Amino acid sequence: MNEIKSLEHPTLKVPYEVFNKRYRNAQRVLDVEARHVGSVTSEIETATNNETVTTGEIDTLLGGMVEKLTTMKRKASEAINEELQMAYVCKKRLDHLKEQAVVLAEPSSPQVRSTMSQWRKVRLDRMLVEYFLKNGYYESANKLADERSLRELSNVDIYAAAAEVETELRQRRTARCLQWCADNKSKLRRLNSSMEFMIRIQEFIELVREDKRLEAVKYAKKHFSTFENGQLQDIQHCMGMLAFPKDTDVQPYRSLLCEGRWTALERQFRWEHARLLHPARFPALPVALQLGLAALNTPQCYQESTKVSACPACQPPLSRLARQLPHAHCSHSRLVCRITGHPLNEYNQPMALPNGQVYGEKAIKEMMKLGSIVCPKTKEEFPLKSVEKVYVM
Amino acid sequence: MDSCIGVEQDLDKAISKFTALSEHTDKVLFDVIEQVENLKNEIAKQPPDTPLSQTQAMVANELADRVKKTVFQMSTEHRELHATVSRVGKAIDRHFILDYASVAPKAESFCSNTNKSIMEEAIAQHLYRQGLEEVGDTLVAEAGLEGVERTCTFAQLQRCAGALAAGDPGPALLWAERRAHDLAHSPLPFTLHRMQALKLARECGVAAAIEYVRAQFPAHAARHERQLQAAVCALAWCTEGAPPPPPHYRHLLEPAALGEWQLGPPLAQYTAAAAGRRVRAGLVHGGRAAAAAALPPPAGARRARTQRQLQAAVCALAWCTEGAPPPPPHYRHLLEPAALGAEAAELFTREACALLRLAPLSPLAGAVLAGARVLPALHDIRAKMTHPHVIAAWADDELPLEVDLGEDGGGYHSVFACPILRQQASDQNPPMRLLCGHVISRDALNKLATGAKSVKLKCPYCPTEQAPSEARQIYFA
Repeated sequence: MNEIKSLEHPTLKVPYEVFNKRYRNAQRVLDVEARHVGSVTSEIETATNNETVTTGEIDTLLGGMVEKLTTMKRKASEAINEELQMAYVCKKRLDHLKEQAVVLAEPSSPQVRSTMSQWRKVRLDRMLVEYFLKNGYYESANKLADERSLRELSNVDIYAAAAEVETELRQRRTARCLQWCADNKSKLRRLNSSMEFMIRIQEFIELVREDKRLEAVKYAKKHFSTFENGQLQDIQHCMGMLAFPKDTDVQPYRSLLCEGRWTALERQFRWEHARLLHPARFPALPVALQLGLAALNTPQCYQESTKVSACPACQPPLSRLARQLPHAHCSHSRLVCRITGHPLNEYNQPMALPNGQVYGEKAIKEMMKLGSIVCPKTKEEFPLKSVEKVYVM
Repeated sequence: MDSCIGVEQDLDKAISKFTALSEHTDKVLFDVIEQVENLKNEIAKQPPDTPLSQTQAMVANELADRVKKTVFQMSTEHRELHATVSRVGKAIDRHFILDYASVAPKAESFCSNTNKSIMEEAIAQHLYRQGLEEVGDTLVAEAGLEGVERTCTFAQLQRCAGALAAGDPGPALLWAERRAHDLAHSPLPFTLHRMQALKLARECGVAAAIEYVRAQFPAHAARHERQLQAAVCALAWCTEGAPPPPPHYRHLLEPAALGEWQLGPPLAQYTAAAAGRRVRAGLVHGGRAAAAAALPPPAGARRARTQRQLQAAVCALAWCTEGAPPPPPHYRHLLEPAALGAEAAELFTREACALLRLAPLSPLAGAVLAGARVLPALHDIRAKMTHPHVIAAWADDELPLEVDLGEDGGGYHSVFACPILRQQASDQNPPMRLLCGHVISRDALNKLATGAKSVKLKCPYCPTEQAPSEARQIYFA
């Protein structure tokens, strides 16, 4: 099992979903265009069977056929090119993932290490962009992607449409969101999405708010009759609202008329849109961050005296998150010299001062050069003789 | 790697099929259009009101039939690609793990409102630290964060390094002045002042430079006597139109070079990489000779460490004229300016951070790196044990397994695990040093002491015997 396998499913799957969608779209375009051409051909067939037909008429019909065929050619090549374009995006990301796999297979050298950390940097940026997109920080996502030239490796372009729908919802307009629901109808139904229903309810509420109650009833007749069971209660609430003034304090009508519903709609759309592209509940960033903090977390991270400035779990703001997490499991000692930050091992033996504090051999030697050994923790001074070796198995 | 290859096969197949289909569709439709147009032209030759002849009717009928078949055939061909497309999706599902969050049941809490803002604060700090101030500002605005510190040591450092590389020691000087006390033993202030003096000489004339030198150099006279002499002497050659300076002073007069050398002995590696970059720059300007001249002489102590890289850099010259055959893989990375730049920046950050006792990674990057390492291990263990115990392990205060975080992650704190009980030490169960120097936990010591019949306790690792009370508590943190 490796990092790519466990983290990168969405990296490939999201563009694949778009690819798949474009495939179906292209199929529809081809079918429609073929039908158009087909109808012209049948016209020609009936015309040629008719004995009184003149060459002029046939000429016009043939002209119409050329026109239809040319449109078909243009549309077909457009649609297929769009498919291919997405397939190439998949390919590009796959190549990016392969880069890391190739580097991992090579023996460790400074060059490999720098490629590796470079790759990891890109991965973090990708995760950030993904996190921004899923939380609706579209501008940040765009800027970061441009800054690090990650447009193809991240989903900013795929989410561009979602950003527009959200802007529309913020301006209290529903047309594009409904259009989106219609475009993805079958998939949304499979996911049991209530997005369209919620939008319809909102439109009904807006009609009530404007005191167009008769129109609201018409609207309800048109749209609410087709909805599934389980939604009946919501519909009842909506219809009940007709009997109340728009500034009512009676629940649930008051909360139905509340402006906050629009923000909720926006959030719901964002969530449904992400779910449609990939079923993962969370972006990779919080998951990796949580596990990473758990792996770095030690009891020492919470005590002022034992904090280490380089440790991510010790420093605010992340320390506040780390506190809620489990600690790293540790069945083998892993010792670090508190003075130099170097690991303690056979090359840098741990040494205990008479007060019990353990430091590395190198640090003790360094201190000796300056004259005397002073424990940095207790500020006591000791002669070199009193320092003893410690063996940790 | 396997997972990538698995998907790649299916994806490549899909791409080639779609490319073929695209060409095929274009060609077929083009042919059909041509045929229809030919017939149309033929028919149009006659006056429009002549009745259609029998043969013409037949030809038109046939053509119409053919066109119909072709277009429907095309849509069928496209439909047949469905299997190819869905195979790519299945390959992705098979080779990659869909629900990576399954092993992190607390991810949900990270998305709660309070924790989310903490996490976003960390993200913003990370962005600022990377020098992406604009992105950071946008995030702070979009996420509605408050009180994120905008400046940080690291970004400042990067700005200084950037300015130095461009030949301007100003920001670095300011930085060094504020840390004069810490830098008492460092050659950095002197080198920066020297650079500034030479810059002044070039821009405002030698008089200004001498003025500056008088003000700044005396403090450094004792430690850098020879270099000081060299610097002042170099002033002699730095007006425009002066004859070329003797080789000894040349490197002092090159602003960019000075900037890079400036970064000082701890950054020898960086300089080596930078030297490589300069070679490359030399190449762009003209010939190999110039490039060779651009290589600065490695000074004394630096020599041993950088010599090999230097050799490599010079060897790489052999392949870098245009039209040269492709270089062997070993030298390839040296000839790519982007890669070289990235490598240099990477080395610089690492060394500079070591110098400043800063973590080379931002906390966010460090934690995410560690997380990416833990995740596969957790998936592994989950795949092997479907027992609910694995998830239950999360309810405890420890991860269910130990993960080696590698050389550049983890290991910030000392953790002592008793070699006998395989338990992490705690305040209640601290590490104890036996007389012989071996360390075990207090619980283990007590168990050994009660188990032994005599008052003497034998070290589990060596023959030494002692009384339990002779063991001494030690502190790793």
